[in-house]
Amino acid sequence: MTRPPGVTPLLSLTVVLAAALTLTGCGGRATTHHKPGTTHQEATGSSGTLLPARDETGHRLRELPAADAPTVRAEARPDPEGGWNVHLAVERFRFTPESTGGAALPGRGHARLLVDGRETARMYGPWGYVPPGAHTLTVRLHADDHTVWAVSGSPVQTTVRLDGTPGTPATSPAPGASATPGAPATPATPGASVAPVPTSPPPADAGRTVTLTITGKTVEPPLSRIELKKGERLTLRVTADRADTVHVHGYDRELRLSPGTPATLTLLADRTGLFEVETHESGLVLTQLVVR
Amino acid sequence: MTAFPLPVAAAHAHAESLGLPLAHGVGSRHDLPLSPFYAYAGAFTALLVSFLALGLLWSSSRFRGDLAGHPLPAPLQRVADAPATRAALRLLGAAAALLFVLHLLLGPDDPDRNPAPGALYVLLWVGLVPASLLLGPVWRLLNPLRAVHALRPPRHPRPLPAALGIRPAAVGLLLFTWLELVAPDNASTTTLLTALAVHTAVQLVGAARHGDRWFAHADPFEVYSSLLARLSPLGRRADGRLVLRSPFDSLDSTPQTPGLVATVCVLLGSTAYDGLSDNPRWITTLQTSPLGPTATATLGLLAAVALAAACYGLCAGALRLTNRELTTPLTSFAHSLLPIALGYLVAHYFSLFVTEGPRTVIMAAGTDNALAPAPPLGPGGLATLQVAAIVTGHVLGVVAAHDRSVRLFPPDRAVAGQLPLFALMIAYTLGGIGLLIA
Repeated sequence: MTRPPGVTPLLSLTVVLAAALTLTGCGGRATTHHKPGTTHQEATGSSGTLLPARDETGHRLRELPAADAPTVRAEARPDPEGGWNVHLAVERFRFTPESTGGAALPGRGHARLLVDGRETARMYGPWGYVPPGAHTLTVRLHADDHTVWAVSGSPVQTTVRLDGTPGTPATSPAPGASATPGAPATPATPGASVAPVPTSPPPADAGRTVTLTITGKTVEPPLSRIELKKGERLTLRVTADRADTVHVHGYDRELRLSPGTPATLTLLADRTGLFEVETHESGLVLTQLVVR
Repeated sequence: MTAFPLPVAAAHAHAESLGLPLAHGVGSRHDLPLSPFYAYAGAFTALLVSFLALGLLWSSSRFRGDLAGHPLPAPLQRVADAPATRAALRLLGAAAALLFVLHLLLGPDDPDRNPAPGALYVLLWVGLVPASLLLGPVWRLLNPLRAVHALRPPRHPRPLPAALGIRPAAVGLLLFTWLELVAPDNASTTTLLTALAVHTAVQLVGAARHGDRWFAHADPFEVYSSLLARLSPLGRRADGRLVLRSPFDSLDSTPQTPGLVATVCVLLGSTAYDGLSDNPRWITTLQTSPLGPTATATLGLLAAVALAAACYGLCAGALRLTNRELTTPLTSFAHSLLPIALGYLVAHYFSLFVTEGPRTVIMAAGTDNALAPAPPLGPGGLATLQVAAIVTGHVLGVVAAHDRSVRLFPPDRAVAGQLPLFALMIAYTLGGIGLLIA
């Protein structure tokens, strides 16, 4: 009996491939009984040391030697439409959305954004967005099994202040993480650089807030000009007695108003000129922005 | 430049598509108010130049009007005057007009997506300024209504009444500036089509009665372009030669037709109103006026024109008092206000032209969501340009008026005789600068 030609090479190739996968252990998705990304339960992994401490969202810390631990730096650039574009610079780390939920492997995982101490989003890549209104942003690196990478008992993380002033180097670690007594309050180990680098020129201040109230056809305070320096931020807080839309000409920003509820709009004054802020329905000029 | 509030009923109908009518119809960025430094520098220069001119300028008239000029090479003139060139320009104007009408009829009713409003308010109205300054009275050559008229010219055109002058054009210009600065919803295709229909009907009926000379007297854009061309270095001598000449000679040859004063006052007053309409106090007045914003704004525009005219009337009266022999004080010096009006136009429209002009062209080329390019000048550069335009207009006006007054007045009274004019020009110039601060 002769086998059809070609079967033997195919078989041997399969065997070799399977052996290679088994040996290296990195070709396919690590096996867990969870589907990727569906659980907060840590899968077992043998990388680093699992600490008893947890961060404030309940994830255990996974300790690595400083030399092996990933590092993260974040910078936040103001977005012209408000909010911030966040850029992460990581070392010894790769974003691995495809294996989230798998076992923890050094140098792999994702980042989580904590805005004012509350977790708001994950990042599976270097760029992300934080909506306006945030004051501090903490970026923390997690392993695929959702444990937090840590050095000296503190999470690998960085904190950026979003009101324009340079970030303070790392806030104190999350309350849960303080369960490791004796750990330094700041995880500012040489490897785990947590000092944010605000490379973009931050605006001069947090921005001015101007409150406007529309009653019928009258605007309070009466129409005047708001003088801004180019690059300054302005927050408009508008309350109207009926549904309307506020339109900032030139910047083409709109703000929907519902009766009696204050609505806010933050903009970055990045074009010079004189611009009018108007309502669409009632056709009122609310104020003029003078951006020099 | 203010966008005027719409009547509420109209706003409710389709608030999304409307946007608000912006002044100038298009453009959402206004020029910054001048900082006091530029304003004072400009005002000081204007005053200084005026008084220096009084003492230092020549004492016998130098400008020779349409007798002056260095002829251009004959081949160039042959090309310019060739029937083929004229026909090509006529076709170009007609094609552009056809495109404009098609955009109005078929395009979206949104000035951000339809290039027609920008074509009218920026490319035509503002673009005529540089075009006429460089090339002379271009609209006469492009005017698509002349092309339509040429299809069926009247066999026995009646002469125009001599007293008519360019008064119909002054009225037309006032109506156009009303449309541009006051009319609610002035960038909507309906409004523009209505205005276009009225304009076309009036012009064609007038031309059918009086022949194509009607356009030179009654078409607002043609008169506007011809008057601005009085400041062009390119001109036509009395003998018909195409010449390069000093704009002063060109200006001196401005025909003193009835309605010249009215036209210049409309240009000055409407541009001044344009400046006023950015003022927060005026906007508050509009928004709180019991007459409603449109009526109030109309009154404001009329008042600005009337004020410019009243100042001129006062000045003419004073001129007549100082010199009894001056029989036509009103029209004798009207030409010297043209540079001042031009200075106003440049100061108010420069940045609109350089940002919205390209945007309109980009839009017409089919780009979706065209963005206006950034203004080429920073705030300081723009302020310098605005003040320089106004002061230059002032200086040109002073020189033109001086030359005319040494021609008309006896030598012993020439300097004193022009004092009222100087006062008028200083008032216009300081007023113009003042409106840029506001």
